Amino acid sequence: MEDIFAQLSQQAINGITIGGVYALIAIGYTMVYGVLSMLNFAHGELYMIGGFTGWWVLQLFSINHVPVMNAALLISLMILLSMAVSALLGLVIERIAYRPLRKAPRMNLLLSSLGVSIFIQNFILYFQGAKVKVFHVSQLIPQGIRVFHVGGVSISFMRIFVIVTCFLLMVCLTLIIKKTNIGKAIRATAQDIEAAAFMGIDTDKVIVTVFLIGSALGGAAGVLVSLLFTQVDYYVGFQAGLKGFTAAVLGGIGSIPGAMAGGLMLGLCEAMAVTFFPSAYKDVVAFLILIAVLIFRPQGLLGEKLREKV
Amino acid sequence: MKGPNAVTLVFFLIAVSVIPLILPNNYWQSIFSITGIYVMLALGLNIVAGFTGLLDLSYIAFFGIGGYTFAFLCSDHFGIHLPFLMALPICAVTAMISGFLLGLTSIRLKGDYLAIVTLAFAQIFQLLLLNLDAPINLTGGVNGIYAFDMISLFSLKIITPENYSMLIWSCALVVFMISFRLKSSRIGRGWNAIREDELAANTIGINTTRMKLYSFATGALIAGFSGAVFASFQDSVFPNSFGFQQLVIVYCMVIIGGLGNIYGVIAGAVVLTILPEVLREYGGLRMMIYGVVLVAIMAIRPQGLFSAIPGFSRQQRRPDKDETGALRASTDLYYASDHQDKPHTPHDPDQETNPTPPRAKFVKQTTPVLTIENLTLCFGGLTAIDSLDLKLHKNEILSIIGPNGAGKSTLFNVISGIYKGDQGRVIYKNQDISGYKPHKVTTSGIARTFQNLRLFNDLSVVENIKASRFCRTTSFFFSVIFNLKSNQREEKETDEKVRNILNMFGKRLTGYRLNQKVSQLSYANRRRVEIARAMATDPEILLLDEPSAGMNPQETEEITQFIKTLRDTFGYTILVIEHKLNLVKAVSDRVIVMDYGKKICEGAYDDIAENPLVIEAYLGKKGK
Repeated sequence: MEDIFAQLSQQAINGITIGGVYALIAIGYTMVYGVLSMLNFAHGELYMIGGFTGWWVLQLFSINHVPVMNAALLISLMILLSMAVSALLGLVIERIAYRPLRKAPRMNLLLSSLGVSIFIQNFILYFQGAKVKVFHVSQLIPQGIRVFHVGGVSISFMRIFVIVTCFLLMVCLTLIIKKTNIGKAIRATAQDIEAAAFMGIDTDKVIVTVFLIGSALGGAAGVLVSLLFTQVDYYVGFQAGLKGFTAAVLGGIGSIPGAMAGGLMLGLCEAMAVTFFPSAYKDVVAFLILIAVLIFRPQGLLGEKLREKV
Repeated sequence: MKGPNAVTLVFFLIAVSVIPLILPNNYWQSIFSITGIYVMLALGLNIVAGFTGLLDLSYIAFFGIGGYTFAFLCSDHFGIHLPFLMALPICAVTAMISGFLLGLTSIRLKGDYLAIVTLAFAQIFQLLLLNLDAPINLTGGVNGIYAFDMISLFSLKIITPENYSMLIWSCALVVFMISFRLKSSRIGRGWNAIREDELAANTIGINTTRMKLYSFATGALIAGFSGAVFASFQDSVFPNSFGFQQLVIVYCMVIIGGLGNIYGVIAGAVVLTILPEVLREYGGLRMMIYGVVLVAIMAIRPQGLFSAIPGFSRQQRRPDKDETGALRASTDLYYASDHQDKPHTPHDPDQETNPTPPRAKFVKQTTPVLTIENLTLCFGGLTAIDSLDLKLHKNEILSIIGPNGAGKSTLFNVISGIYKGDQGRVIYKNQDISGYKPHKVTTSGIARTFQNLRLFNDLSVVENIKASRFCRTTSFFFSVIFNLKSNQREEKETDEKVRNILNMFGKRLTGYRLNQKVSQLSYANRRRVEIARAMATDPEILLLDEPSAGMNPQETEEITQFIKTLRDTFGYTILVIEHKLNLVKAVSDRVIVMDYGKKICEGAYDDIAENPLVIEAYLGKKGK
């Protein structure tokens, strides 16, 4: 009996970790959807690029898998650079693939983002190969604090680090959205882009900011997961993107708190599913949840139902 | 019905009978066969994504279902050895049923959501293929299933690569013919209408949910069929052939060819299969290039690469030039031609000089055809319609006026079934229609126009009106695909009916305008098309939402006469919302004034014009 309890708590912690990451990805989807009502298929690739940037930084600053600088500094550098690179890429994508299509039918936008996604994926495949890139992080964390044992549950340091970082990033985002001027502009644009423009808000700037923030969070999610599972490859973005989107829909697309809650919920569901089904079916469970939510409550668990304007 | 493009037919005949025999080696022979399979796949996807505008990302899964079903039925895997001609239809139908079931769950979702749900289904399908090799070996896991029975058609054995090429391209020809017949049929027009504007399609009497489902299932059927042929050709099936990459390749083919453009899609499939083989040394870049192609085409030429080439799409005549190439203004043309031809309808401007206007065949009667009882509808805290009662009599023209936001258009939306009232009933000819979906309301005999124009912008004038005949025609897949007598007769009737309706508008919508896209028409002409489209559904009651909005005084006068004609000569019962009071004055038998969702006054125009409540609603209270 205690065994089951320990197992469930272990899974709960795993679920919260991965859920935090899903939440970060979901925020990117939800923010872009909020201002542009478009589904940014390429968002998952920004996550993948985040992971790769982390790996490149790690390679650059370590000799024979031993880091040449302070570990805390290196990890911060990895995270910051991943966020920067992903954010930059997000901007480029918006400029090249989405802005020319602002007035086009939604299907065109979706296909365009699909094209971007395929391009980035195969760009990385071509120049970095299909082989899994391993993060040699064993040297980064001092021996004594790598794993903690509480009751029958073991928590690695990395896991705690990921949870804390996700939490901090979400707090920052909430503060930006709630307290700053640009946050107000984003909220206004999400409500009604035309009215916002009439009130003197530079909506193009808002859209760029949204892509910047969303992409940076996606990149951060990528590097955090890579640190946790110590690996990344060119294909991770696709699945992660789908999961992030699922989380966004689960919480109600367009709502930032919804995305956070949806991410955590999805992470927990998946982790619990692993206790009962073979782990190969973990993704099946996630997708079934997505389908069920879309069919029975398309506005999401926290979203409001909208009436189509005639 | 016009037959398919002769060049394409010749191409298919050569592809079936000549090319397989002259290809230099087996390598090119197999490329050629694969091309044929891609042509089928692309044509099938074109039905779903091109004709109907559904972003179906599970399409490739149906290809897989066809393939795996074939593997189950024609190999040692389960020890079932069905003959090819029996297995093939089973595979196609299995895929179709899967498509139908999948569609049932998700078809109500809009655009992006449908894309994501179907993508999730495709992912689940892949995961199942990969993992269902244990505990019982169903799918063979990563390695799939291989070594199938040799196939034979009657006594004809299909062994050599040449045989396969011929078989595959014959199948492709069949798919092409089906696709072509569907496109120019009642079914295809219904699908196109849904693609252009789903709500408008619903209000002209198309059961959009069902038609989308059919489209989904047709696509799945073709995919499943191709999947079975593909499995037999490859002599093995494994999950990788049915993955996301394949889906993207097929989408690229359809998009390069131009969504909905059959000839373009075939060309797209051929080019995108052959070209990578020619450029094999850059193979690693292949998928990257597909990505760029998608983005570039969406940004630069969303209608596809081939639409500008003659033969790939209908060429537009320059509407502003006549046959000699001289420029002309549309109004000049209209009045010039009017003096040459005798008017078709009594509402012509010539009428002013005509001392005796034709006597009205129809006048208002006292039998109510549409009764609204105690109708209430709230949007959150706002009561848009507040316990409204209304009676519309046979052959009456009843106008509804009132300030903006009075609930007039909302009332139309309730009658036509777009909104459902919170309370009250809408009764049409002793039948409670308050719960009806828009397409059922239209089929019962009530058609509407929209205040802010919801035409099928990418379709021509004729196609817009023809789409409206959907609910009054019955040709179904079987009679369309085999072009039976009944289908031919119906097509002819549709043509005639549409011509008659368009002729009622004088020369406004005929001549070169017939084949113009409605997005190129003037605002006033688009209003006319809206009315014509509503009329083509054979309604008894017409709901006209601000028919004269955006028209100049002359055109307003013309539409005023036209509305009268609609009743006087053709016997429609008309409910009209209008702001221009001279129109209201000229046409109405009765006027209802609404404000804040309530009926504040009802009566003949002259009476209500004096009513203090009405003056207050429009101008505000008088100061003391």
